[in-house]
Amino acid sequence: MSRPTFARSTYDVVVVGAGIIGLYTAYRLARAGGVRVVAVDRGYLSNGASGRNGGGVRQQWMTPATIRLARESVEAYRRFPKEFGYNPWFRQSGYLFLADSAEALAQLDETQRRVAAEGLAARRLSPDEVRALLPDANLAGVTGGSYLATDGVLYPFPAVWGVYEAARARGAEIVLGHEFRGAAPTPDGAVRVVTSAGVVTTAHVVNAAGAWSADVARRAGLDLPNVAVRHEICATEPLKPFLDPMVVRASDGLYVSQTMRGELVGGLTMSHPPGLEPGARTSGAFFARYARALLGLFPQLGSLGILRAWAGYYDESPDGLPFLGPDPRAPWLVHANGLGGHGFMLAPAVGDRVARAVLGEPAADSAVYSLARWLAPEGRRPAERLTLG
Amino acid sequence: MVRRPLVTFQFGSRTLRAPADVPLTAAVVSRPWAPLGRSIRYHRPRAPFCGIGACTQCLVRVNGQPNVRGCQYVPSDGDRIETENAWPSVRWDVARALDLVFPHGVDTLRGFGRPLWARRLYQWVVRRLAGYGRPPARANAPARPAARSIATRVAIVGAGKAGMACARRLAALGVDDVSLIDSDRVVDRFPGTEVFARTRVVFLEPPDTPGGPFVLYADGPDGGIRLDAARVVIATGSYDANLWFADNDRPGVVTLAGALSVTPPDGHPPFHRALVVGDGARAKEAIDRFGASVAAVVAPGAISPEVVRAASDHGIDLYPRSLVVAARGFRRVRAVDLVRRGDGSPFRLAGDAVILAHRRLPNHPLLFQGGAKMRYGGPAGSYFPVLAPGGETSVSGLYAAGSVAGFADSEASGTAVAEAIGGGSAPALPPVPWDGVSGWEGYYRELLARPRSRAKWVACACEDVLLDELEAAHARGYRGIEVVKRYTGLGTGLCQGRYCVPEALLVLAGWEERRPEEVGYLTQRPPVFPTPLATWVGFSSAGSADRKAT
Repeated sequence: MSRPTFARSTYDVVVVGAGIIGLYTAYRLARAGGVRVVAVDRGYLSNGASGRNGGGVRQQWMTPATIRLARESVEAYRRFPKEFGYNPWFRQSGYLFLADSAEALAQLDETQRRVAAEGLAARRLSPDEVRALLPDANLAGVTGGSYLATDGVLYPFPAVWGVYEAARARGAEIVLGHEFRGAAPTPDGAVRVVTSAGVVTTAHVVNAAGAWSADVARRAGLDLPNVAVRHEICATEPLKPFLDPMVVRASDGLYVSQTMRGELVGGLTMSHPPGLEPGARTSGAFFARYARALLGLFPQLGSLGILRAWAGYYDESPDGLPFLGPDPRAPWLVHANGLGGHGFMLAPAVGDRVARAVLGEPAADSAVYSLARWLAPEGRRPAERLTLG
Repeated sequence: MVRRPLVTFQFGSRTLRAPADVPLTAAVVSRPWAPLGRSIRYHRPRAPFCGIGACTQCLVRVNGQPNVRGCQYVPSDGDRIETENAWPSVRWDVARALDLVFPHGVDTLRGFGRPLWARRLYQWVVRRLAGYGRPPARANAPARPAARSIATRVAIVGAGKAGMACARRLAALGVDDVSLIDSDRVVDRFPGTEVFARTRVVFLEPPDTPGGPFVLYADGPDGGIRLDAARVVIATGSYDANLWFADNDRPGVVTLAGALSVTPPDGHPPFHRALVVGDGARAKEAIDRFGASVAAVVAPGAISPEVVRAASDHGIDLYPRSLVVAARGFRRVRAVDLVRRGDGSPFRLAGDAVILAHRRLPNHPLLFQGGAKMRYGGPAGSYFPVLAPGGETSVSGLYAAGSVAGFADSEASGTAVAEAIGGGSAPALPPVPWDGVSGWEGYYRELLARPRSRAKWVACACEDVLLDELEAAHARGYRGIEVVKRYTGLGTGLCQGRYCVPEALLVLAGWEERRPEEVGYLTQRPPVFPTPLATWVGFSSAGSADRKAT
């Protein structure tokens, strides 16, 4: 797919991971000009979570800084076809969170207030207003909802191709099918990076390895509290459009949206033990639970077939917030990980913040996302609690 | 001729009467290849193709339920059956204009993103053109039967020659507690064997812990069936492959199974001058069944003596060493353009059907799901399991027999597996004929070296992915089937890649100048066939399938 090995022996930045986060970071660095950047990934393009997610893009968060990250990303995905020449079919038809308990409703209330405080038109919905948005659904037990019309869904693959091609066109190298094996500073202040494609020296290493981020940090001699959690997802046979917003339900974590070509794509919270396995398996238990949850919402879809299911890994940080920026213990290692199930939706802004951190430019909210919050427990901030969907 | 009871049902505005035991496709394809539906992107006419309930070409709406496979559905009295994805009618669908105006297709990957103000309009239109059936009405919720849960010693999936031979020998060896599952009827019964007819195994979970049971999820006539099996024999057989050429999705281009599915069991086929593509046993089956309705046999290479003899009995013309270049005809196939291999001289054969009987491919998804080690090879070009002498795959307790494992002698392989399981005097497995190299890579290399016309080569008929799109992906540097799939959407449709991935591997191998196994294989995404949500719900109350998260 690209040159199989490195074109040079010295870089300014080695990005580990060529998923959407690594690609956006590489693109943003290459665009800055004069930065020699290479991204290394052991898989093929889109083989990790960037090719396995449900395509949701939302701005409803409990952490104000993340609301801002998301707002920037929404704007970037809106402009995507103009900037990159690919069309991810970003369809802004809203994210609808459904509450079916008093606690969930209180959480949505609080979320709505915080989102509105950032200038976004999030709305708290009564059950009747929810019904108006989901005329075909069974809403028994739904006590209310929260809705933001400018949230939406996109088709992830064109976004991957677009950023990949743009990064390369601006001079970034992308080395696929090769593994990052380790990195260590040398006495002269540079960093020596060992990969299966050879050894290079660099000034910075960006850890954008998704679910493998803790493993990559370990190979660089540092620990990172992220864990990989398997998440399953499936698509049904295509139907004519009947579902506009992405729907997320608090009680079981059900999320479902209808793609441009008519499939219902969704999943729900399972309790898989953390850890990576060879291959990302689908389970019969997932099919059964997802079908029950989806038919609870749309009982008329019983004859609709589940077409295919797949699984991927979330890269989960302890507090639901990502780690972005230099590692306080080793500033040459720059984090871009811990994004949970939300890397794709935040990627444009994350790529920008991480590139700024590498370039030494000011980046907003860098303290919120710094690994320092984990290294110094007394500095911990409130966790992001709206992690569904 | 035996007089059979008739059923009366509505098909669109027509009232039809048909024998009570024939599938819808055989009951309605009275006019040759009248379209049953329209394709997802270009609204090309769709008529029965695969005959095994896998493709997208005979989807209809039955009593308000969308996306029912016509070749698998036997109408009942009073059914209301409608066509899908067409306006105002399936015969005169205005959206077909897209197909005619854009002979090379529409670039939905790069186009339609700008200007910003038009984007909502584009999205509104594209969403309404795509999809197949309309969702059912709220009041029309189907029943959700609870699944049965069964523990069994041996589960045999497939009751063809290999599966039956295996069951027979297991019974003779005194092994009881055997389950035999087949998507069709099962004729013979054996002591100690429970039979699950009209049941499809759609998902196989390998054991969580060594020595634990395999879990098979099946979709039967009365809902789901969960089988916990100590040993599993995959004897799922094979299916007729697709073939790529210009307008290869025209109504009238069918697999042999598809041709059989549109023909009443003891009646005449809806065609009179069929062209059979194939050179061996399967082509002979086509001639034996359709006899005088076959006009010619075309084959990529030499034609076997058995086919030559059968053809001469019916006065059928033979065209060996031919490339199929294009189907002709606007609404249905009326002729086929061919080229003689070697000298490249073109010729045209008139015909009202093209029957694909040129190669059989293994039904191997359960082997992939079970984690068996697979290897590419064989004259047909596909993946087969690597087997130990007793027919066991690389996964302990998972066996394969018959044509899914590449055996020509299905009975002998089924018997040998039963011996290995039942502790008999294990006879050696018959040799597998799949160690050779496929001639099909060379076929496509020669075919695609020729200039192509403006007509569409439909690489993936489920999603209307064109060969041009694969070529564009290749030209932009995307390599390997996994990436090409994600770039083009090939293989993501209802047939689960059965009718596009094997061809794509052959073609990409030529373009990428490496072996098909290096081009890769799509990770098999369960289920094996699309399986209703109502069936899956049933499993949530069946045994340990239900593990609550909280």
